[in-house]
Amino acid sequence: MTATISEISIFLSRSLRALFTPPYRPKDIFFQLEFVGWQSLPVILFCVSFAAIVTIIESSFHMKIVVQNDALVPGFAALLILRELGVVVSALLLTSRVGAGLAAEVGTMQITEQNDALRMLGIDPIRFLVVPRFIACVIGGFLLSLIANLVCLYCAMLVSEAKLGYSSGAFITGMRAFVSFQDLVFATIKGACFGAVIPLVSCFFGFRCKSGAEGVGLATTNSVVVSSVLIIFLDFVLTYVFSHFY
Amino acid sequence: MKPQTKVGMMFVAALVLVVIFAFALGKVNPFSDAYELKLAFNFAGGIEVGSPVRVMGIKVGKVRSIDFNPEFKMPDSGEEVKLMITISVDKRAWSSLREDSKFFINLAGVIGEKFLEISPGSIDKTELKDGQVIRGEDPPRIDQLISQSYALAGKVLEMVNKNEGSVVETIETLNKLVLNFDNALKQLEKTSRDPEVTKIVKNLSVIMSDGAFFSQKLRTPEGMETMALINKLIKRLEPIDGPAIKKFFQEEGIKAKLF
Repeated sequence: MTATISEISIFLSRSLRALFTPPYRPKDIFFQLEFVGWQSLPVILFCVSFAAIVTIIESSFHMKIVVQNDALVPGFAALLILRELGVVVSALLLTSRVGAGLAAEVGTMQITEQNDALRMLGIDPIRFLVVPRFIACVIGGFLLSLIANLVCLYCAMLVSEAKLGYSSGAFITGMRAFVSFQDLVFATIKGACFGAVIPLVSCFFGFRCKSGAEGVGLATTNSVVVSSVLIIFLDFVLTYVFSHFY
Repeated sequence: MKPQTKVGMMFVAALVLVVIFAFALGKVNPFSDAYELKLAFNFAGGIEVGSPVRVMGIKVGKVRSIDFNPEFKMPDSGEEVKLMITISVDKRAWSSLREDSKFFINLAGVIGEKFLEISPGSIDKTELKDGQVIRGEDPPRIDQLISQSYALAGKVLEMVNKNEGSVVETIETLNKLVLNFDNALKQLEKTSRDPEVTKIVKNLSVIMSDGAFFSQKLRTPEGMETMALINKLIKRLEPIDGPAIKKFFQEEGIKAKLF
């Protein structure tokens, strides 16, 4: 246990030191950003949109049961989507896609001794592998949460028009009653924080990978599980912190 | 496509979406065509930045900012007003806002949304100017009203307790009065059913209608003429006393025993 904690703290301190000291590798960062952001965009948009649609239909169903009226649904469903749903669902999807990929990649490099080869060449594997992925994931998380949230809201608006019978104007008016611009700002901050969790956890488990296909599989599984749990926990912490700003 | 291009496209898409979102929330409006007014209040009843502004119930703008200004005094009356609310009003509604327009804080909708209501002014007053400072009508404070009504209820109770005897007396007297009135009404009803009274009333009605007929006839030109003639005749007859009439009749050879 103590060994694990010391390993984590050493890894984090070395990552942070590498993060704040040049040289950076912009080409690699862009390459990772394409993998994290651009390639994840379709799947995230698809899933998050359906989550939004389900949310708005379910809220309407519940409100009709509770108060026999779903007039407030566009407003508070939009708020729920913006503050929680969009960003958390996209972060979890990003974990399963990017986190697993990173852990497998770094783990394979570890067991095939490529990391040792890097060290022999005088290249710090953390600077070489973690920093570009970290920067790419933070920026990617930020961009994805922003785009996913707003596409989500658009889908919710379409569904409220088609299914609940609220025009887009009514949806926006309802949204204005509850949603403020800082909700989007906080959502994107959350997105960036969740994005930061994914490469750190994945690379940590990747570097600790035991030899063999089994080791890589374990590293991948552990990284996804731990990232997801950390994201949910961090979501609670950030929500608690942000609640002081309202 | 290069990774840089793809990432750039994502940034642009995100930026465009943020701008659309800000526009939808009403934070940014490049097409806005609005004037500003500064409203002074001492109590703003829970209005917030972004609350709608309505003229005759139609949304024409929103609350831009709320500032605390403890040293401000109204330029015309010198009244101390501590809260300054800046609102924007669309140009299309501007001509309805006159010097005598009133600015209220009002409540609407299921969720009790607060909004600023502007009553249109009369057309002969001058239009308001952009950026003018106006005194708003402070909304009634429900908490104050409740505490005042408590005090009032207490006073009423105290008064009743103090003058219990006289209050009871007053009520008894009132009771008697009502009973008497009731009796009087009953008597009246009984009387109205009496056939003799009915007859009298009918006769009175006939007399009245006859009188009306007569007076109507008198109003015609012939009637007027007749009246004038009679008047003239009486005037002529005025100086003639009893012996004179006797003499007249004797002269005329009329043997009558009139007098």
